[in-house]
Amino acid sequence: MFDVFSEMWSFAFMRRAFVATTVLSASVTPVGAFLVLRRLSLAGEAMAHAITPGVVIGFVTAGLSVMSLLVGGLIAGVGVAVLTALLARKTILRSDASLASLYLIALAAGIFILSAAGSAVPLKSFLFGSILGIDDPSMMLVGGVATVTLVSFAVLLRPLIVSTCDPVFFEAQTRRPWIVEQGFMLLLVLNLLAAFKTLGTLMAVGLMILPATAARYWASTITGQLALGFVFALASCWIGLTVSYLFPETPSGPAIVLVAGGFFAISAGLGPLGFGGRMRKPATAVETKPTPQPITDERTP
Amino acid sequence: MGTVLQIRNLALGYPSLTLFRHLSLDIDGGTTLAVIGANGSGKSTFVKALLGLMTPIAGRLSWPSGMPREIGYLAQMSEFDREFPIRVRDLAAMGAWRGFGLWSGLDRKGRDRVSAALEEAGILDLANRALHTLSGGQLQRALFARVILQDAPLILLDEPFAAVDQSTEAHLLSIIRGWQNEGRAVVLVVHDLSSVLDHCSHALLLGGEAATHGPVDDVLTPEQLVKQGYLSKSQAAWMFRGAAHYSEGVHV
Repeated sequence: MFDVFSEMWSFAFMRRAFVATTVLSASVTPVGAFLVLRRLSLAGEAMAHAITPGVVIGFVTAGLSVMSLLVGGLIAGVGVAVLTALLARKTILRSDASLASLYLIALAAGIFILSAAGSAVPLKSFLFGSILGIDDPSMMLVGGVATVTLVSFAVLLRPLIVSTCDPVFFEAQTRRPWIVEQGFMLLLVLNLLAAFKTLGTLMAVGLMILPATAARYWASTITGQLALGFVFALASCWIGLTVSYLFPETPSGPAIVLVAGGFFAISAGLGPLGFGGRMRKPATAVETKPTPQPITDERTP
Repeated sequence: MGTVLQIRNLALGYPSLTLFRHLSLDIDGGTTLAVIGANGSGKSTFVKALLGLMTPIAGRLSWPSGMPREIGYLAQMSEFDREFPIRVRDLAAMGAWRGFGLWSGLDRKGRDRVSAALEEAGILDLANRALHTLSGGQLQRALFARVILQDAPLILLDEPFAAVDQSTEAHLLSIIRGWQNEGRAVVLVVHDLSSVLDHCSHALLLGGEAATHGPVDDVLTPEQLVKQGYLSKSQAAWMFRGAAHYSEGVHV
């Protein structure tokens, strides 16, 4: 057992993978927590798919570099966000349907271009991540994104909490509520790109959402939610990477996300706000609904 | 006590629908204005216009003693995420969040202010409870504590008694009376004609593309309520059946 670990640690790429995912866990935790709390879990997933063509086009035209990943992904992410808002505002489709339509097109386009161009990146590691893919520039990307994310959250945390908990109150308090909203979406795209190498486009959101939803079953405060989310994310990465190492054919993304899924299942079963607890669901605002009258009335002769 | 807000020639509505026109009204410190009207008559829209969230079709809002840093605001309960993981104490503290530094937490003075507000709202013992464990009435008390902490010269409350029991309503009304005595102006959207109106000095009746305002007793007459579509004639006849002068006014 110990031999396995010492052998694993002897590989530079494994050490890099452990460091990168540790930093990544710290970075994606707050993003994931607020995706869940703002009821944007599925929008986050869709956004991950939507940035695919940008990343692919970056790879195909500018080569396999962190810069092409960052620029292509950011353009695609912002483009999809703007188009979604435009469709939702100017046409009959709501934002969920607009986003779904766009991300399906984007994902198909991304895979199509990647296959047609005969890219150097195998499709499997593109979609599901690879621990072998973490080179020094990728480490720089993860570190840079984590720095930007954590500093931004230090500034944005309070307005984010207020705007998530009570958006109407927040809107009444500030002249520019969209700064918080758009800033958060930008952080989401950055973190998806940072998670992309290890987890792949299809799995990147997994490390954000599952630790956050698992933590939600235990925590009654934001602090608890963030702390526990980080612990779950970190443990998922370390265990997942080890599993992926032990079974060389398995991509790292699904391995990590499956471990996170295990934490989610345990939390849902045992957490005080899950099945195990006696959580009282908040009643809806108006509780006094009249009981429906039977159609046959005794007063009718 | 001076005028907090002057409304001049205000018209509100949407591209296809005008709610009302030509409303001119002074909101004075120490008074409570009840806003009444049928569904869709523009009560919440009026509140949002005062907050600056809604651009009027016409008219002007001016603040004689300067635009306040805070306007106290309590929205309808339905627009609120009751499962958000936060303690009662922190929810109340949101009322003062812009006063904290960017990085610093609450200092001792700030914490004392939060505790005092919770005490006034009667829920200091629930300060460390999670939000989702509160009943509707307890939550409304917590939101009142938040308004207390906003420390604003103008306070807008949108149907604050819609989901609370009688004793909570009485307590919240005593808080509103305290605000009046401190010289704050309160605008209170009321969803039905009830004893709440005893605590209001003025009323604004919306409906039928009109806005009528004045002292409560002058505005909320059966004739006016029927005219602006708030009550049907038969409802008015029943509700005001004890009022002698009314049977002469409208013949049912």
